[in-house]
Amino acid sequence: MNDEIILEHGLTLDEFRVIKEYLKRDLTIEELGIFSAMWNEHCCYKTSKKWLKKLPTSNEIVIQGPGENAGIIDVKDNDGIAFKIESHNHPSYIEPFNGAATGVGGILRDIFTMGARPIATLDSIRFGEISTDKTNYLLNGVVHGIGHYGNCIGIPNIGGECEFDQTYDYNNLVNAMAIGHVKNDSIFYSKPKTIGGLIVYIGSKTGKDGIHGASMASDVFSEDDEDEKRPSVQVGDPFMEKLLMEGCLELMSSGLIESMQDMGAAGITSSSVEMASKGNVGVHINLDKVPLRQPLTPYEILLSESQERMLAVIEKDNNEKIREILKKWQIDYEVIGEITNTKRVVFSSNEKIVVDLPVDIIVDDAPEYDREFSLPKKRNQRNFDTSKLNIEKMISNYMNNLNYLDKSWVYNQYDSTVMGDTIKEPGQSAGVVKIHNTEKAIGASTDCNPLYIRINPEKGMIYTVLEAYRNLIASNIKPMAITNNLNFASPLDPNIMGEIVLSISGLSDIAKKLDTPIVSGNVSLYNQTNDRPIDPTPVIGMVGCNSNWKKILQNKFIKKNDELLLLGKSLGGDFSPYFLQDQKIISSICEFNELLAPDIDLEIKTAKFIQEAAEKDLIQSSNDISRGGIFMSLIKMTQKNLGFSIKVNDEKDIFCEYNAGYILAIDQKNKEEVFSMLYKDQINFLSLGQVKLNTFEINSKKFNYSDMMDMYYKNFYKLIN
Amino acid sequence: MSFKSAVITFPGSNCDRDALTYLKDLTHGEVFNIWHEESSLPDVDLVILPGGFSFGDYLRSGAMASKSNIIHDVIDHANNGRYLLGICNGFQILTEIGLLKGALIQNKSIKFLGKDCYIKKKFDNKFNCNIKDSEVLQIPVAHNEGNFYCDQETLNYLQNEELIAFEYCRGEDSIDDGNINGSLDNIAGITNKNRNILGMMPHPERAYQDFHVSKDGKKIIESILS
Amino acid sequence: MRIKILIRLKSQILEPQGKVIEQSLKSLGFEEFSNIRQGKLIEIDLPDSLNEKERSEKIDVACKRLLVNEIIEEYEVLG
Repeated sequence: MNDEIILEHGLTLDEFRVIKEYLKRDLTIEELGIFSAMWNEHCCYKTSKKWLKKLPTSNEIVIQGPGENAGIIDVKDNDGIAFKIESHNHPSYIEPFNGAATGVGGILRDIFTMGARPIATLDSIRFGEISTDKTNYLLNGVVHGIGHYGNCIGIPNIGGECEFDQTYDYNNLVNAMAIGHVKNDSIFYSKPKTIGGLIVYIGSKTGKDGIHGASMASDVFSEDDEDEKRPSVQVGDPFMEKLLMEGCLELMSSGLIESMQDMGAAGITSSSVEMASKGNVGVHINLDKVPLRQPLTPYEILLSESQERMLAVIEKDNNEKIREILKKWQIDYEVIGEITNTKRVVFSSNEKIVVDLPVDIIVDDAPEYDREFSLPKKRNQRNFDTSKLNIEKMISNYMNNLNYLDKSWVYNQYDSTVMGDTIKEPGQSAGVVKIHNTEKAIGASTDCNPLYIRINPEKGMIYTVLEAYRNLIASNIKPMAITNNLNFASPLDPNIMGEIVLSISGLSDIAKKLDTPIVSGNVSLYNQTNDRPIDPTPVIGMVGCNSNWKKILQNKFIKKNDELLLLGKSLGGDFSPYFLQDQKIISSICEFNELLAPDIDLEIKTAKFIQEAAEKDLIQSSNDISRGGIFMSLIKMTQKNLGFSIKVNDEKDIFCEYNAGYILAIDQKNKEEVFSMLYKDQINFLSLGQVKLNTFEINSKKFNYSDMMDMYYKNFYKLIN
Repeated sequence: MSFKSAVITFPGSNCDRDALTYLKDLTHGEVFNIWHEESSLPDVDLVILPGGFSFGDYLRSGAMASKSNIIHDVIDHANNGRYLLGICNGFQILTEIGLLKGALIQNKSIKFLGKDCYIKKKFDNKFNCNIKDSEVLQIPVAHNEGNFYCDQETLNYLQNEELIAFEYCRGEDSIDDGNINGSLDNIAGITNKNRNILGMMPHPERAYQDFHVSKDGKKIIESILS
Repeated sequence: MRIKILIRLKSQILEPQGKVIEQSLKSLGFEEFSNIRQGKLIEIDLPDSLNEKERSEKIDVACKRLLVNEIIEEYEVLG
C-alpha cells in the first residue's frame, strides 16, 4: 500500500505503521477505510481524549454518561431525560440545507436509539458577517434545513442561539441538540448480550451518500474545493426518519430488540465496531445482505453515511415478529450478520472475507495525542475612553447589530409547539417543555461566549456555563447536567490547543462547583480555512428540571406596576467584553482587559434565592442579564404594550455585562416579603423601576415604545435583506 | 349518551397524539386512534384528520393521504352528517379529497411559518357557535402550505353560502396585517355546504391547556358539544 | 419507455418561488430574465408494450387521480 493512499485516508504514516506492526500483514483497502473512519478525530477523539477524561461525568442523577449515543439523567419517578448535542459544521458549509437537516436527523437518532422519545430540539448556529452573499445563502439554507427536518418529524424546536461574527466567514457552525424522554427501566444500550444474536439492518437503503464524510470532517478545507466535496454530503429524508423512529420505538416497547446503534458518522463501520467493543464480542456481517439503493463496492458500503439507518441485535426467535412490525411502517429490514465470540470484526462479500480485524486494535489502540499547547499571554490593564457614548448611540449600536435583535426570522421557521407540551418557546432565556402526562417541566439552553473564551479560555468557559445556568434559573428550572460541543480550529497550532485544554479545564471546574456533570458531547476540530481559524466556540447545552411546571417563570412582563428588581454585579465598562466590542470601543482582541473573576458563590446564592421565591409564587417573571446588559434584558421582557420606566445611576452600566445578573418583576404586594428574603440571604439588589403600559423610559428620558419594538422585532429582517 | 370521536393516523402524521389528547381532555368520551390502512371507522360523532406531514408532504401536501384506505369511510362518515375536522395537514387532505373547496398553496413568504396567529369567526356554524363575533382567538400555526386559494367563482360561492368559518385578523401585538400566509380573503378555515366538515390551518389542539398560549382552542370542541 | 410529466402552478396563481428566483437572478446581473416560474418534473418508466394511446390514457388518469391537483396545477407530458 503506497503512502499516498494512506495519507489520502487521513492517517499518518506513523499511525499506519502501528497498525501494520500489530497485524503483521498488509491491509485490504476496506480495512484501510475502516481505520480511516475509526481513527479520525470525529470518532476517536485522538486530540481531546486526554483532556476530556478530566471532566466530571457522574453523580447520583447520572444514569448514562459519555460513551453511549446520548447521556441520560434521572428526573425521578422512573422518568429519565436523554440528551446530546452534535455538530454538522463542515457539511453545512458545503451544502447548508442538507448539511443542517441531516445534523438534526443524526442527533434525533442518537436519542431514540436509547429508547427515548425525542421531546425537544435546540440549535446553536453561527455565521460570518451578514454583508456577504455567502453568509446570507448559508443562513437561509441552514435555517431552512433545520426547520424542514424537525418540523416534518414533529419535534418542537424550543431554543438555541444564532450569532454572527466574521470569524465564521469561511466556517459556519451548526450544532444541533436533542432531548428525549425515556422510562428508566426501558433504556436501550448499544451493548449486545447474546453470542449468536442476529445483527439486523433497519431503515433506508444504502447509497453513496457521505462516503468519507467522517474523514472529511477532520480535514482542513482549502477554499476552492467546495465543488469537489459536494457529492459526499448526505441527503436527509425526515419522513423516513419519522417512520424509523415510530418503528424503532414500537420494537423497543414490545421488547423485541436486545440492543441498538445508530449508523451515524462512518455508517455501518463505526456502529458495528462500537457494538463489538461495548459487548466485548465479535461481529460477522455479510455485506451482500445490506439493502442497497445502487450497486456499491464493499468499501463504499462500509463507509457510506446514508441517513436514517439503524443496526440492532435481536434474538433469532423475534425475527419474523420484527419484520411484521416494520412492514407496517414500510421500513427495510434485513438480517445481515451475527454476534460472535471472536472479538474480531469480520465483513464478507461475495463469499470472500474483506475485513478481519481484532476489535482491540481499532478501538483500544486508537491513537491518543498529547499535543503541544501554549498558554495565553498576560494582559495589561487599561481604562477605556467611553466619553463619546451617549444613551441614544448605545441603543443604536445594539439595535443595529444582528446579535442583539429578536431572531423570530429564524425561529418562526421552526415548529415550536408541536407535541402540545411546550411551555416556553424560542426567544426566551430557556426553552421549556412538559414531559407528557406528568407535571414535570424540562428546560434547556445552549450557550457560548466565544469572545470571553478568546480573552481567557478558562474563565471564559466558566462564564459560558454560568450564562446557561442563569438562563435555566430565570425560568425556575434546576440545572442538572451538561452536554458539550467543542468547536475549535486546528489543534496542531499550540495556541489553539491551549484554548482547547484551558476551556475544558474551565468547564471541568465549573461543572464540579455547580454539580452539573457532563453526560454527552462532541468535538469538532479543524474549523479553519487556510489561515483563518474560528474563535474558540465550545458550545454547551444545559438541561434541568422542575417537578411542577406551574412554577416555571416566563421572561415576559405580566402586568403593569410590577416592581422591577435588579440582582447581580456589573462587570463595568472596562471589563465587559461584548460592551466594548459592540459599542465599538475596541477593535482588536489584544486590547481587552483580562476577564474579571466570575463570582460563582454569588451566582449560586442568587440562584437559590430565585428558586425559593419562585416556589413561593413571589416572582411574576424574570430574565437573566447577558450580552447587552440590563437594557437588552428589559427589552426581551416587554410584551403586549407592557414597557418599563427605570432609574439608574450610570447610564452606561445598563449596557454592560453582569455576574449573577437578573431582572425580576415582582407584584407590589409581594415586595416586602421579597425584600426581606433578599436581606436575609444578604443579596444586594436595586429597585430599578416599574412595568408601565406603552412606556420606554430610562432616567426620565422617554423613548417611543412602538419605535423601540419595531427596531427590536423588525431590524433583523431589514439587516439580512 | 357519551360523545365518541376518532383521530386518523397517516404515516408522517405528527399531531395525532396532540389531537387525541385534546379530544380526551375536552370531550371526556371515548377516543379512537385509527391507522390509515384500516378499512372501517368505528361509530363516532367526530373524526379529526390531524396535522403533520402525511407521506412526507411529498408530491403535494395531503395528496397521498387523500387516497388512503380509510378515506372511503371518512367520506361516508361525513355524508351521514357527522362532524369531520381537518387541522393543518388535515385541512390539506380534505381539499385533496374534494370534501372542501379550494387548495392550500405555499405561504407567500415561501417559508415555513411557526408562530401564533389571530383569527376570528366569519360565518356561524356548529364548530364556532360558542364564539362571539367580535372575539379574537390566539392560536398557533405551523405550516408551509397554508395559503388558501380558489378561483373567483368558488370564492363567491364560499362567501354567498357563508361557508367561511374563520379568517385571520390583527391581534393585540401584531406587527403586520394578520394575514400570515397570503390566503385569499384572509381565509383560515372553511366548511362544506352542509357545515359538518371544517378545515382550518391553525392548531386548536395547541391552545387549550393552562400552559398554552391561550385556551381559545377549547371553544371549537365546546361549540360542537353545545 | 421513460415518460416525463411537467407539472406547474396555473399561470393565474402567484408562484412566489419563481418571483424570488427572478429577483436573485436580477441581482446577479440577469436583468433581461423575466416571468420565471418553477414547476416539478416527474419521470416514470412505462413498458414499451403499451401503444401511444394506451400510454397517454394511463398517464392522464394517473395525473388526474394523484399527480396533479387541477384546482391549482396544470401538466404537460414531455416526449
